[in-house]
Amino acid sequence: MNFLAWVFFAPLFCLLAALGVSLWARSARSSVRLGLLVSLAPLAAFLSVAAVLPRVTAGNPLRLNLPWMPSLGLEAAFFLDGLGALFALLISGIGVLVVLYAGYYFADHPEDAPRFFSLLMLFTAAMLGLVLAGDVITLFIFWEGTSVVSFLLVGFKHKDEAARRGALRAFWITGGGGLALLFGLLLLAEMAGSTRLSVILASGPVLRAHAHYPLALVLIALGAFTKSAQFPFHFWLPGAMSAPTPASAFLHSATMVKAGLYLVARLNPALGGTDLWFWLFSLTGMVTLLVGAWLGLRQRDLKALLAYSTISQLGVLMMLLGQDTSIAFKGFVIGVTAHALYKSALFLTAGAVDLAAGTRDLTKLGGLWKTHRGLGLAAGVAGLSMAGLPPLFGFLAKETLLAAVTHPNIPPVTSLVFTASTVIAGALMLAQAGRFVVDTFFGERPAAQPPARPLARAVAVLCAVPAGLSLLLTSLPEPEPIAAFLASAASAAYGGPVKVSLALWTGINPPLVLSVIAVSLGLFLFYRRARVIADQEFFSAWAGRPNLETPARAALRLLDRAAAVSLRTQSGKLRRYLAVILAASSLLVAYALLRQPIAFQSLAVPTPDLAGGLGVLRLFALLLVVGASAASVFLQRDLMAVLALGASGLSVAVLFALEPAPDVALVQIVVDLLVTTILILALRRIPRPLREQANDRRTASGSVRDALLAAAGGLWMAAVTLISLTSRPRVSIVTPFYEANAKPLTGARDVVGAIVLDFRGFDTLIEITVFAVASLGVYTLLRRGLGLYRAAHEMPADEKPHRSFLMGIGGQRPSALVRLLTDAILPLSMVIAVVHMMYGHDQPGDGFTAGVMVALATGLWHIVYGNREARRRLPWLHPTPLVAAGLLTVLVSASLGAWISGSFLSAVDFGKLWGLSLPPGFALSTAFFFEVGIFLVVLGSAARMLDTLAFGEEAAPRQGG
Amino acid sequence: MNQPQWVLLPVIIPLAGAAVGLLLRHQRRVQAYGSLGVILTALAASLFLLGRVYTYGPQVAQLGGWAAPYGISLTADLTAALFVVMAQAVLSTGFIYALGCNDRCSRFPTFYPLFLTLSTGLTGVFLTGDLFNLFVFAELLVISGAALTAISDDPLGLEAAYKYFLISLLASLFLLVAAGSLYVSYGTLNLADLSARIAADPTRPLTGVAAACLVVFFLVKSAVAPFHFWQPDFHTVSPTAVSAMLSSVVVKVGVYGLLRMTTLWFVPFAAELRAFLIVAGLVGVIFGGLTAVGAQHAKRMLAYSTLGQIGFILVGIGWGTPLALTAALVYIINHSLIKSALLMIAGATASRAPVKSAAFSALRGVGKFTPLGGALFLLGGLALAGIPPTNGFISKLTLLRSGLALGDGWTLAGLAAGSLFSLVYVGRAYRNIWWLPAQGEIKPKAGGDRLLAPAVLVTLSLVLGIWAEPFVNLCLQAVAWMLNPAAYIALVLGG
Repeated sequence: MNFLAWVFFAPLFCLLAALGVSLWARSARSSVRLGLLVSLAPLAAFLSVAAVLPRVTAGNPLRLNLPWMPSLGLEAAFFLDGLGALFALLISGIGVLVVLYAGYYFADHPEDAPRFFSLLMLFTAAMLGLVLAGDVITLFIFWEGTSVVSFLLVGFKHKDEAARRGALRAFWITGGGGLALLFGLLLLAEMAGSTRLSVILASGPVLRAHAHYPLALVLIALGAFTKSAQFPFHFWLPGAMSAPTPASAFLHSATMVKAGLYLVARLNPALGGTDLWFWLFSLTGMVTLLVGAWLGLRQRDLKALLAYSTISQLGVLMMLLGQDTSIAFKGFVIGVTAHALYKSALFLTAGAVDLAAGTRDLTKLGGLWKTHRGLGLAAGVAGLSMAGLPPLFGFLAKETLLAAVTHPNIPPVTSLVFTASTVIAGALMLAQAGRFVVDTFFGERPAAQPPARPLARAVAVLCAVPAGLSLLLTSLPEPEPIAAFLASAASAAYGGPVKVSLALWTGINPPLVLSVIAVSLGLFLFYRRARVIADQEFFSAWAGRPNLETPARAALRLLDRAAAVSLRTQSGKLRRYLAVILAASSLLVAYALLRQPIAFQSLAVPTPDLAGGLGVLRLFALLLVVGASAASVFLQRDLMAVLALGASGLSVAVLFALEPAPDVALVQIVVDLLVTTILILALRRIPRPLREQANDRRTASGSVRDALLAAAGGLWMAAVTLISLTSRPRVSIVTPFYEANAKPLTGARDVVGAIVLDFRGFDTLIEITVFAVASLGVYTLLRRGLGLYRAAHEMPADEKPHRSFLMGIGGQRPSALVRLLTDAILPLSMVIAVVHMMYGHDQPGDGFTAGVMVALATGLWHIVYGNREARRRLPWLHPTPLVAAGLLTVLVSASLGAWISGSFLSAVDFGKLWGLSLPPGFALSTAFFFEVGIFLVVLGSAARMLDTLAFGEEAAPRQGG
Repeated sequence: MNQPQWVLLPVIIPLAGAAVGLLLRHQRRVQAYGSLGVILTALAASLFLLGRVYTYGPQVAQLGGWAAPYGISLTADLTAALFVVMAQAVLSTGFIYALGCNDRCSRFPTFYPLFLTLSTGLTGVFLTGDLFNLFVFAELLVISGAALTAISDDPLGLEAAYKYFLISLLASLFLLVAAGSLYVSYGTLNLADLSARIAADPTRPLTGVAAACLVVFFLVKSAVAPFHFWQPDFHTVSPTAVSAMLSSVVVKVGVYGLLRMTTLWFVPFAAELRAFLIVAGLVGVIFGGLTAVGAQHAKRMLAYSTLGQIGFILVGIGWGTPLALTAALVYIINHSLIKSALLMIAGATASRAPVKSAAFSALRGVGKFTPLGGALFLLGGLALAGIPPTNGFISKLTLLRSGLALGDGWTLAGLAAGSLFSLVYVGRAYRNIWWLPAQGEIKPKAGGDRLLAPAVLVTLSLVLGIWAEPFVNLCLQAVAWMLNPAAYIALVLGG
């Protein structure tokens, strides 16, 4: 790496300064001293750029390519030639001044200074990065960085509504432009085959001939126009003047708004020279120039006046970039420099005036010359430069501009229009400059105003530095190095050699004549300014303001309205949500069903085997399923509907048993019982009036919708079932394997047992976890959620506790027989459970059924003995430890499998391993521990659900449960 | 089996931790910090797994030693490992947030165990190689999430949990129908085996139905319009630590499934699916953007913005080129970090408001009590809007480049509109909370939720925005492997 390439670390100085300030400067007592310290960073940047000037002027750009995302072909590339160096010098040089100045500006509010300085340094870093970037993506990153920091700086005084509005507007417009720019740059990179600037610049002919050239150009131009406040996007700039004045001076006149110009100039060698380019940039620039100059004159606020004159000047420069002549680019570099110098001086002065006089309103200003001569002098010089009068740099800029627009290469009529508008705008600018200087410093200070405050002398000096430079640059004894440097910048933008001389006097020629006309006209306007402004007001009221502000506002309103409409879909009604989801998914499934023709001939209505004695039973169970399901839908009393649902489930169990699938039937029975019990317990908790209300809420249209959805859903579900029943070729891969291997491989005679515990044991593990979590869910819902809900809705807790649940059946002590049965059923269920667990691997029944049975038995105890008594008698029934112990048992036994045979959940028969003698048919294996674990989890969870649902929050949380 | 079954660790560690946590329910501090230890261990295990996958290639565990397709296989290729690391990393920050927050629900004895089972469910979904097993894990995920929401301090938590649960139940029904249809048609549930058989014979009468049902399931999981309704209501009221997980990593279950569907499970249907996903994605981008602009509540706005962001991801999956899929993957992971951070910041700010609520009206002027929160929110918001130097920019850049390479102009225009919307809602949210002055004098609540977790996430998103190469490279490799279904199938089936 060339050591000169260290210049590319210039942004890093500022970034580090920003970090340092935000970390350590919280306690800064003097903002002036802080400013001095911080200004070292841009100074270092300035010096490092200045150090490489000779090389850059000689036409040897510096490059630095750092790998960034090589796998996507992206790099962080940097590049410095004359054009970049010119902007970098302006940025860092004015940066030094602005930082020093800000130290004084914040002297009264030193607590705000650190935040401001860190933002300012962040911005400087981004801005320097932008002009040093050698890759369009790198450039874009810094581009967006400037927009974001600008947002924060404009909103710096965010207590102010204008500042907030201005900041958001600037953010949205430059952000939207940034988006367009990103698309444009990516398209450009796609066309050129690389994101590197040097490649893009070298492939100009290919790019200009490309079919996507116009699109890419317009997108990039959108980015540049929004950033550089070109018509019709210019309206954000005056709003951005709510920023603290040092920020306005820096961002919104000298640097950020020039980023768009820089980009256009940068890409000119590759994309310029076409008709589209010419019209796009010259016309936009020209209109901006006129609009800015016109609107600027009538502003009363000093900063607003400067903002509009900035817009106008940006228009001038944009117009120059549209031309395809070398003199235009000479005009561009001189104009950029001249504008940066005088405009920063004027902005700093405006801030100083604000500090001194307490206002920026021109109608309340005047007579400051008496007290602030130094400031007046600086403003005067800068104002003369702005007015384009000799011997200042601004004069040179205007002469070159006039020479460029009268260049014979431009079509005559166009040239005439350009010239006329330049002259008019020049006159308006002169009048504005006059207003700024004369109305502020001369005349009489309005009597109502308090006397002006004195300012630190350094403030005037800081204002005078750039003003003085615009005088100095034209009167240098040795202007050649500077002229050569400017020429190298202009050549880089033009893509060919450009000659620059800084001589003021070039003889009597058309530009000089035009200039004289403009000055005379300007002086006239200035002299009659009161009248002119009054006429302007009249005209504006009649013509309205020519910009996008109104449409932009309307667009935002439209957006808000659309947002409100789309928000209406979120009605909060679950029924409606489910309906939409069901409808949409039914459409999807219907499409999938119909996308290939259904082979109707292959569909056959299944013919159940109804012959023989079992056939009758099967038919009976089938009818029962259908009847009970229909009943569960049509029964009005919810309790009855639940019972019907239970009946339907039990009938399904009968069908399973007849298949014969005893395992599945058993599970179906216990699950059905458990679910019915839970539902009844849950219903019992809801007061009857509320339950009945649920039926009354139905509306006619809602019922129609629900019926239609149910019909559609039922239809496709039936179709799917029918197809799967009749057209399946029954090619199951896994079933034959299970049937053949259950016994030899797992030692289980029961295929279902082998599947649940061995082949798909992992499913079982997660399923019992789901069951456990469900019980925790019930517990948390009722213990915590319901209380909060009731408190919020001011619903009373149930008026009186359900005596039946607290005291036994119906509040009566059950008969001895019932108690005897109850006492007997628990040990009995436990014996069955143990048998199930021991032999579950081989026989129907397993840990799950065992757990549910014992839990249901304890549920009976709760009902018969009442809550408190049952808990007293069953001290071992602590749901949470049971669940945890069960889960851990399964995990430990599964891990033992992993330890012994290398695979989680693999079967290990410890009985065989240790040579134990066990009862026949029982194996002390991982499968057994698995069953025990399942039993514990299911018992704990089911017991907890029954317990919580039955007694809920009425019962005091038991000790340990 | 010779291969050590590392794949299991990210799933089993949280599960065991949950069981132990239940036993420790009376030692609140031990349980809380122990759970953090567990999730960090799970994160370490996930990173270890990622490392192994990166070095030695995809890892497969045939559980119980039963060879596929007869048993259940867990499979980790680079994509799955990345998703797992993402999930465990974000969940870890969720635990950190919960430990430093004032929500009373985080002191409820079942809170941390439920959070751990959520982690098991999530990682299980990403790692499982079996369709029915996926269903079981998805159930675990839903039921843990619903229970965690029901605990919320907000009285409406119960209602939101109920909605979430019922809508998810409906989705699960579709998954079950899909599993049944596929089992009937192909006789197997192992996803690798299924992929091979579907590719060999895609014309079974129920294959399309199964695909449609799976799409419905995943669209509900990822909250894609019009299947999204549970999501905004949910995020408004669930505890911040929980909502930050659900809107970031849990919604990624759906896009993960869709990625797999288009590249592995339903390759013969990929063209149709992709066309559909582009449309669904565009609808999401526009609709999500609009609703986020209109939302008057910080968390709700973020929830709606997830609709839009998922839309961007779906478009990437729909474009389906290697670059687009990489973009989708990058987008998925970046969005998880950003969205969880932003929800946490919104929650932390709300915890400082006099009336605890994340509605903008309640948050006016509260921002000044938490300038750090403001800085973090701004950075996170920029990331959400895809502005450099955040990782959100990397996602958007990659996605746009892949779209430009395809020349899909109309879709790109839709994405541009969505990006504009994000500028509007991010800017407004920042203004509403940190700039607008309070109406009247307000006093902050002392000791709001700690900002450590979002600070970690935002830092991560900045680091991934600047030093993006390793991460992007990883995603590229993951996609290269993902686009080779034959290798995946051979690996799982051991052929």
